[in-house]
Amino acid sequence: MEPKYVSLEMRDYIVSMGAETVNWCMQCGLCTNLCPWRLVPGETSEKFNIRHMQRLGQMGMEGFEDEHILFACTTCSMCQSNCPRGVKIVDNVRAMRASIVGAGMAPANLRPILGSAHANGNPWSGPREKRTAWQQGLDVPTFGPDSEYFLFVCCHSCYDPRSTKVAQSIVKLLKAAGIRFGVIGNEESCCGESMRKLGDEELFQKLAQSNIELFNAKGVKKIITTSPHCLWTFTQEYPELGGQWEVIHYTELLAQCVQDGRLKLAPNASKKVAFHDPCYLGRHSGIFDAPRQLLERTADGGAVELSRSRELSLCCAGGGGRIWAEVPMGERFGELRVMDAMDKGAEVLATACPYCMNMLIDACNSLGKQEQLEIAELSELLAAAL
Amino acid sequence: MSDVTNGHRSVLVLGGGMSGLSAALEAAEAGFPVYIVEKEPFLGGRVARMNKYFPKLCPPACGLEINFRRIKNNPLVRFFTMAEVVNIAGQPGDLDVTVKMAPRYVNEKCTACGLCAQAAETEVPNPFDYGLSTVKAAYLPHEFAFPLRYVIAPEVVGTAEAEKIRAACPYGAVDLDMQEKVFDLKVGAVIWATGWMPYDASKIAYYGAGRYKNVITNVMMERLASTNGPTKGNIVRPSDGAPVQRVAFVQCAGSRDENHLPYCSGICCLASLKQATYVLDQNPQASVTIFYIDIRALGKYEDFYTKVQSDARIRFVKGKPGEIWENAETGQVTVQVEDQQTGAILRDAFDLVVLATGMVPTTADQKVPAEAAYDEHGFMLSAQPSGGVIPAGCVKRPVDVASSVQDATAAALKAIQAMVRR
Amino acid sequence: MDKKIGVYICTGCGIGDALDVSALAKVATGEHKVPVCREHGFLCGEEGRALIADDISNHGVNTVVIAACSPRVMTDVFDFGADKVLERVNLREQVVWSHPAGDEDTQMMAEDYLRMGLTKAKEMEPPVPFQGENLSKRILVVGGGLTGLTAAKEAAAAGYEVVLVEKSQSLGGYLQTVHSVPPLAPPYDQPHTFDLDGLVSAVTGNEKITVYTGSQIKKIVGAPCMFDVTIQSNGSQASERVGAIVLATGSVPYEADKLGHLGYGKHGDVITADRLEAMLKEGRVVRPSNGQAAKSVAFVLCAGSRDPEHLPYCSAACCVESLKQAKVLKEQNPEMPVYIFYKDMRATGNYELFYKQVQKDGVVFVRGTVTAVEDDGSGALTVSAEDVLTRAPIVSESVDLVVLATGMVSTASLGKPYKAQQPKEGEEELEVPADTILVSNLLNLEYRQGPEVPALKYGFPDSHFICFPYESRRTGIYPAGTVRAPMDYARAMDDAAGAALKAIQCVEMTAQGKAVHPRAGDLSYPEFFMQRCTQCKRCTEECPFGAINEDEKANPLPNPTRCRRCGVCMGACPERIISFKNYSVGMIGNVIKNIDVPEEDEEKPRIVVLACENDAYPALDMVGIRRAQYNPWVRVIPVRCLGSMNLVWIADALSKGIDGILLLGCKHGDDYQCHFVKGSELANIRMSKIKETLDRLVLESDRVRFEQVSITDYARLPQILDDFAATLENVGPNPYKGF
Repeated sequence: MEPKYVSLEMRDYIVSMGAETVNWCMQCGLCTNLCPWRLVPGETSEKFNIRHMQRLGQMGMEGFEDEHILFACTTCSMCQSNCPRGVKIVDNVRAMRASIVGAGMAPANLRPILGSAHANGNPWSGPREKRTAWQQGLDVPTFGPDSEYFLFVCCHSCYDPRSTKVAQSIVKLLKAAGIRFGVIGNEESCCGESMRKLGDEELFQKLAQSNIELFNAKGVKKIITTSPHCLWTFTQEYPELGGQWEVIHYTELLAQCVQDGRLKLAPNASKKVAFHDPCYLGRHSGIFDAPRQLLERTADGGAVELSRSRELSLCCAGGGGRIWAEVPMGERFGELRVMDAMDKGAEVLATACPYCMNMLIDACNSLGKQEQLEIAELSELLAAAL
Repeated sequence: MSDVTNGHRSVLVLGGGMSGLSAALEAAEAGFPVYIVEKEPFLGGRVARMNKYFPKLCPPACGLEINFRRIKNNPLVRFFTMAEVVNIAGQPGDLDVTVKMAPRYVNEKCTACGLCAQAAETEVPNPFDYGLSTVKAAYLPHEFAFPLRYVIAPEVVGTAEAEKIRAACPYGAVDLDMQEKVFDLKVGAVIWATGWMPYDASKIAYYGAGRYKNVITNVMMERLASTNGPTKGNIVRPSDGAPVQRVAFVQCAGSRDENHLPYCSGICCLASLKQATYVLDQNPQASVTIFYIDIRALGKYEDFYTKVQSDARIRFVKGKPGEIWENAETGQVTVQVEDQQTGAILRDAFDLVVLATGMVPTTADQKVPAEAAYDEHGFMLSAQPSGGVIPAGCVKRPVDVASSVQDATAAALKAIQAMVRR
Repeated sequence: MDKKIGVYICTGCGIGDALDVSALAKVATGEHKVPVCREHGFLCGEEGRALIADDISNHGVNTVVIAACSPRVMTDVFDFGADKVLERVNLREQVVWSHPAGDEDTQMMAEDYLRMGLTKAKEMEPPVPFQGENLSKRILVVGGGLTGLTAAKEAAAAGYEVVLVEKSQSLGGYLQTVHSVPPLAPPYDQPHTFDLDGLVSAVTGNEKITVYTGSQIKKIVGAPCMFDVTIQSNGSQASERVGAIVLATGSVPYEADKLGHLGYGKHGDVITADRLEAMLKEGRVVRPSNGQAAKSVAFVLCAGSRDPEHLPYCSAACCVESLKQAKVLKEQNPEMPVYIFYKDMRATGNYELFYKQVQKDGVVFVRGTVTAVEDDGSGALTVSAEDVLTRAPIVSESVDLVVLATGMVSTASLGKPYKAQQPKEGEEELEVPADTILVSNLLNLEYRQGPEVPALKYGFPDSHFICFPYESRRTGIYPAGTVRAPMDYARAMDDAAGAALKAIQCVEMTAQGKAVHPRAGDLSYPEFFMQRCTQCKRCTEECPFGAINEDEKANPLPNPTRCRRCGVCMGACPERIISFKNYSVGMIGNVIKNIDVPEEDEEKPRIVVLACENDAYPALDMVGIRRAQYNPWVRVIPVRCLGSMNLVWIADALSKGIDGILLLGCKHGDDYQCHFVKGSELANIRMSKIKETLDRLVLESDRVRFEQVSITDYARLPQILDDFAATLENVGPNPYKGF
């Protein structure tokens, strides 16, 4: 076999792009063996080995550029939260992507998404002026001096027809709970979480800056996010860029409201409901109980735990930019997730993330299980229980 | 040189395991009176629960027998079982140690004839077998137990059964009114040799210990392989008692892991190499796979590694396994891991998976009742603050038996120094 | 001594129910005319003990025979002082708990055991401790490196005088050229600067310690507490008397000249780890080829170690040492490219945290076999390896220095094998397993068996015992540090303290005439009836501890303070001239002769079992404790070590009509478990001689069997005993019955 040559210059470049912990890795391989890709067949599963990818990074060697390797990771953090050396594997992946994308070598299928985010401030090719379209028929307060919270709605729930129901449900719930909140509107931009994960550092910086300037200009102090992805980047990435607010996911806020009785829910769903922990809500942000507390209030059909739940929850495959990836049937994590739910006899699979909802619906449809299993966003179930 | 009556010249050793026994006997044979204080009803500790030692594959009972004989023949050695140290006051060379002794409900009149056990009906979990078995509420801790004396489980004390047990003893050895005793000892030095506990493998969620019957720990494996163990030494599947054909060892199950034990436990590699030989000695047709990060066989232990490696029935796979699944029907457990030599992803089913769980120093949660210095994992530092007790063995660092004994011997010297310095 | 025997039969623990005790008592009172014989239902109870005590203090009983439980239990209860003779007859574990109650054979067994015990009691004398002349409790430490200095300091701190002998002119050994040592304390991420000067002055400044530098041991004669040491200093000679010895001469790096495949000798910039350490200490790491400062370094681990062509063992310290050197380089220049090529990273315990720190510092770790160290054309070097982790052959960037982490070679292994003198003309060569003694010029013992401590594998004078790591094969000499086994600094310091204690213990026990491990405290010792000695040299050859020297006429010159009291010499002696006060050939011979052998037509064969008292005998007790049953024809006789078995016992037994003899000894061979090193193996060798005896008596060789049993073989034992009994049934009765 042709020898591979070590390049410390290349390694140091990757480190400088954010892979600060790549050298800490002792190559035990736990990451590769806990990776959800092990659970499905196919080309990506065969090619993508996160342990080996990091090895190449450590040695500054090429061989990770292949799309099936470089863009396979869903950043679910199953490996990272269990890494014996505390290696920030997701950052290392991001840095290695950045070393390619930053050099203008983003793969063709991602260019339109990144392009739209540049042009429209959202990755869904939705025109800016349509960002508030979902508010039709709802009297959604505008953020002002007397608003306590700024409600930041994920682009996905602004533009995706199915997902807009999530935004609408959350608005109804917040009103019912008497929360003083408001939205800003068309000037809002995508939080950029997934853009950064895709390796487009420049784009992320641009989006983040415009949001930070906007929010601060409007005097935002507290933010409610509809998506765990926005929650995560606002709490984990924005602060060092100057965005320092009290940020809370809607499930946490509503759970509090239910606790102190501000929000009353009348159990109505007689169906058996299972909850899918979104990676960015659970493993990444450590929020496991709030959604479950809320679920109990609605589901008098009973809530069931999936076999892989909480810290060991299986990813829907929508993170790390994978929501835009074309994955052949049979290779979708979501399909396993649907089966998990059905194994437990669930009739509804609820989650608390627009990406998860999106991925699970696709999976359910591709399996033709729509009749047996309903995919719902938690907010929808809650709104129905008002 | 020895003066039994002068407490200032005597040493108290907490822990009657290999380190404690050695420290006590080495000091006593140098002429100093010693007290051994042991929390279990017998001396021998961890090693008494082991089947064989690596690399010689010899039985721990052999060395223990010699050490017990050293105790029997040496009037300078006195010991208390079911006892613990609750307070230490004073200065090195002049210490007041408070000892608390739990009731055994059996006094020195016991001849170990066993009539009490015949009278008992209740079965209680057997601490000697890590809960793999139960014993009668009146029991001998184990066949080799020293002292050879029965124990009555507190669970039955106060019941009619206890009275029945008392009545069964012709020697008046069962004393159900026995109370907890607290007393002071004046000593010149204290050696802390309370040893280690196996790491709780169920904390490693993805390996399924505690959820899957056929995923066990290395200490349980020692019991399974021991003639006086729950299976009379037959290595079988806990799920159904079936003999094992394919066995896997998962190294660093907890050790070398910041989410569990950041340090290396030092002995687990060799323990698994040894246990692999148990499996193949019992069933030459069996096969063994060892999943590892690094095989740490230091010094001449390398020979043992080379020997085990040369056995075609034993496969070494460089890689730390991910999730382990159980097949509910067959009871088989599947290990998923990348063989880093080839890059192939293995999904192999085994009859039994042994987790090489590491050592947690007992001082991680039970601190010395006196000023003492520890590292962040609870190991006692070699350099203790003046007035501090002298650590020996696995409370200091995770080590094998031979190293514990060396360390205990060194500790005995430190204790003697503390006393002659006065 | 003028004996008055008291026999005390306990009827508790089922003994009374299983046996006809009055019939048993008649054996004592009738056959043996014992003046005092009592029964008690609970002999170990206060009343029972008082009964005995009263007979001793008020009725002159001075020889006590306890017919009750195993001698392994109730030892404190049945201890009546060293001036009394005590014999325990094991009626409980080995008779009534392992044989049917009320059975004729069980009764016969009990009666035989009482006969045997009485015979022994009659012949035993209370031991009189050996007292040597002008005993010394001083400790000799050979070697002034880390281990030696620590041992000296620690022994002195315990109040003992020390004589320290160091070959070179200055103290400190290898540490003198060491820049720093791996972390010794939390957070275990920084090298530690070792205060050698502090240690050296603590030794030189201590009035209890006499230091000889530039000196070597010319010769050592004598034995524990009576070692006379001749010290050769440049020009002058000195002599010191010491009590015990700590051997701490350390190790040397493996010869790098043999590592051409790693570029050593080919490229000037391929150096050894000790050379780098010295450069770090000097404060300037340069390329030997051009004297320029080295800007990049690659370490190659296991250079010589873990390699069947070189050192098959792992040198234990090199992984962490290399991590330390890499760390030091990174501290001096964080940008410096540093590589470590390894097989397995052996950073045990908290060194794991150090390993991680060095990874954090950006050192590149390559796992796999180094295939080439080559000149890159510009004078710098590249290292190629099969990297398991990358799954490809990889080539490093060019580096200025390649450092070989060479392994440790014990100074005790540097010497030619010593051969004890050849047997003279006509003498038969004994197949005694010879010790490996390497003439390494460290101690120069004037021992008949050779001048150094016997070496185990790879020349390490280590202990073979896991439970007793300081037990060398020479009493009173305790190897410590890297001369004994590869180890790091921290371990060596602990090891030094431990060895110091063993030396102290040895002088304390020896001064009281007591044996050291494993028969610690034993006051008996072998005495030689020289008039009948034939100078056959078996005792000197076979003593596992080299306790016996020889004069020019080959007369044995015993050294009781070197003796471990195993009785191997006693077993070896064809003239039966070696005996202990309480253990002798004649005594056991008579015990055997006192076994009652029924007539042939009674069809009750008899089997004598000679059982090692540390392993086989306790295992037989276990059989009883588990209430398992075995053949009642056996009569078990515990022996100190099977190596103390004298062939005459076999002859005695067979000529008396005993049908078979079973020898239960410890495992021998590479992983021997015999606590007297060779006893079991020697017994096995003597088996070959047994054939001659059998032939002389025209008896079948099946009548004598040797079985290796460990203490945990109790589940197997009944089968072993029953099988042998069955074999003897087939062979038929011993024709000598009734003679």
